[in-house]
Amino acid sequence: MSNSTDHRAIEVTGVTRTYPGPVEALAGVDLRVDYGEMVAITGPSGCGKSTLLHLLAAIDSPTAGSVVVAGHDLADLANLSAYRREVVGLVFQFHNLLPQLSALLNVELPMFGTHLSTPQRRDRAHELLAEVDLEDCERRLPTELSGGERQRVAIARALANDPRILLADEPTGSLDSKSTARFLELLEGLSHAGTTIVMVTHDSDVAAHSHRIIEMRDGVVIDEKVTRVTAPVTTGAT
Amino acid sequence: MSFFGLLIRNLWSKKARSIGLAFAVAIAVMAVVTLDVTSSGLEQSAAAIISVGKADFTVAQKGVADTLASTIDESELTKLRNTPGVESVVGVLVETERLNADNPVFIEIGINPGDLSRFGVRVVSGRAYAPSAAHQVMLGWRAAANLGLRVGDRFNANGTTNTVVGIYSTGNTFGDAGAMLPLPAIQGYNRVAGIVTLAFVKVTPGVSVTKVAAHIDYAQPELTTIRTASQFGRADRNLIYLQAAVNGSTVLAILIGAVIIGNAMLLSLFERTREFGLLRAVGWTRRRTVGLLLGESLLLAFLGAGLGVALSFVVAVVLENLPALKGVLHPNFTEGAFWRALFTALVMTLIGAVYPTTRAALLSPLKALSYE
Repeated sequence: MSNSTDHRAIEVTGVTRTYPGPVEALAGVDLRVDYGEMVAITGPSGCGKSTLLHLLAAIDSPTAGSVVVAGHDLADLANLSAYRREVVGLVFQFHNLLPQLSALLNVELPMFGTHLSTPQRRDRAHELLAEVDLEDCERRLPTELSGGERQRVAIARALANDPRILLADEPTGSLDSKSTARFLELLEGLSHAGTTIVMVTHDSDVAAHSHRIIEMRDGVVIDEKVTRVTAPVTTGAT
Repeated sequence: MSFFGLLIRNLWSKKARSIGLAFAVAIAVMAVVTLDVTSSGLEQSAAAIISVGKADFTVAQKGVADTLASTIDESELTKLRNTPGVESVVGVLVETERLNADNPVFIEIGINPGDLSRFGVRVVSGRAYAPSAAHQVMLGWRAAANLGLRVGDRFNANGTTNTVVGIYSTGNTFGDAGAMLPLPAIQGYNRVAGIVTLAFVKVTPGVSVTKVAAHIDYAQPELTTIRTASQFGRADRNLIYLQAAVNGSTVLAILIGAVIIGNAMLLSLFERTREFGLLRAVGWTRRRTVGLLLGESLLLAFLGAGLGVALSFVVAVVLENLPALKGVLHPNFTEGAFWRALFTALVMTLIGAVYPTTRAALLSPLKALSYE
């Protein structure tokens, strides 16, 4: 488990993931991400970057190796739902908003099952949508929003329970350049505020906004490049 | 938004499907409730005869399919009269006759005029008939009003023309909607001399009714004693068969409804697989995810139950007024019918939900999210 001076937000050790086939998506990945870092994982399609993100989000489990996030060894974690709800926030490429719910309700979804009351959930969702400049779009359905607006709603949803770690899978893949720039501004703002961000992207311009770029190929990390230096942040300092 | 609000929102967003599913539940519930209230009405009508006589209990032939087909001969009546603790026994012959389309099951009771007061009959107009008078009849006040007859008018029954000599009241709707004739006359019309259908027994004050009834059940095993409408239902085999048919139909309706609901829920689960995957990915527990699916189904079940009861009212009124059934069916909406509606809707929903909810619970978030 974590201690108060631990800088490690994520520690992946010797992780493999083999799917039936067999297809080896990850062939022994070691990775460390510190609190407050913004890391981009890049690489060609099928290199295993999304698989790695899914393991960090605990929506998939490794065949071998260990994944420790915010001090939680995911293999030993009994309540994965609480982990997904409270420790990490996940942003998808195609935002995955529920079409029948307004932007506000989509943002409220991860807050079900927390200690928040119904009015508190609504207030928090208002606040989050305001943070992503969508206070005027609260009642709109996803179909009534632009691609960029949808992605901002998805970010607001991912931040609903104030997670220490934000995971984003190809978050700009479906956005135009203007929306991408707006989205990156948001991520940088979050990073400045201390949120650890791991973003999977194949776009080198987007990756360039991170502190560190990790390149993967054939299920392994082949290169690592520091683009900007980040001040160390310890657990709880977010 | 509350969890309940989310359920409503989800159902509202798929209005056509929700209405269709609620309607499927409603049809099954309607079938069950309509069967229940009509059979209950039949039982109530049939059992009403035992509450006409002001007796402590009624005696009928044991094991008859239809209690009105019971035959008790006068020697058995004598035995009944001699039973310790019995104060009086009134033997009556009950027949039914189709008078016209509005009165397809008109009740005629053959009873000696000397037994009328013991039977709780009060002559409110005219007089009682003579013990062996031919072609004399008394009408219950409801029957007289329905038929538009008064004392002195002619009343055609049993292929004969009778004179209405009196109008009576028993204080019982069923009894007041029929006619009374001298016992020998009606026995003659039906060629059953010396036979009565039912015996109405009054017990000596201070003596245990239960003990006297038990004594009769033991001493005269060819007879059965009936004290309540539900006992009447158990003594009358037609009603037993009818109740069995209602119960069987309920089970069948539940199974058919469960298949429909299960199918619709499964379809909904397939369509919403990505949604459930997303909910799991953002931290919803299996229990909450299943609760969403089950909650939506239970809401539809309640809606279907309400709609089904409303439809059954309409169907019962239509059936009651069909020319072929007019005067025969008298739907009896009881509290039990509403509980049966709710039970039917809930059980069919829960059975139908077992497989879809199990599938939903076992969904892997990642597989669900990549479901096409």
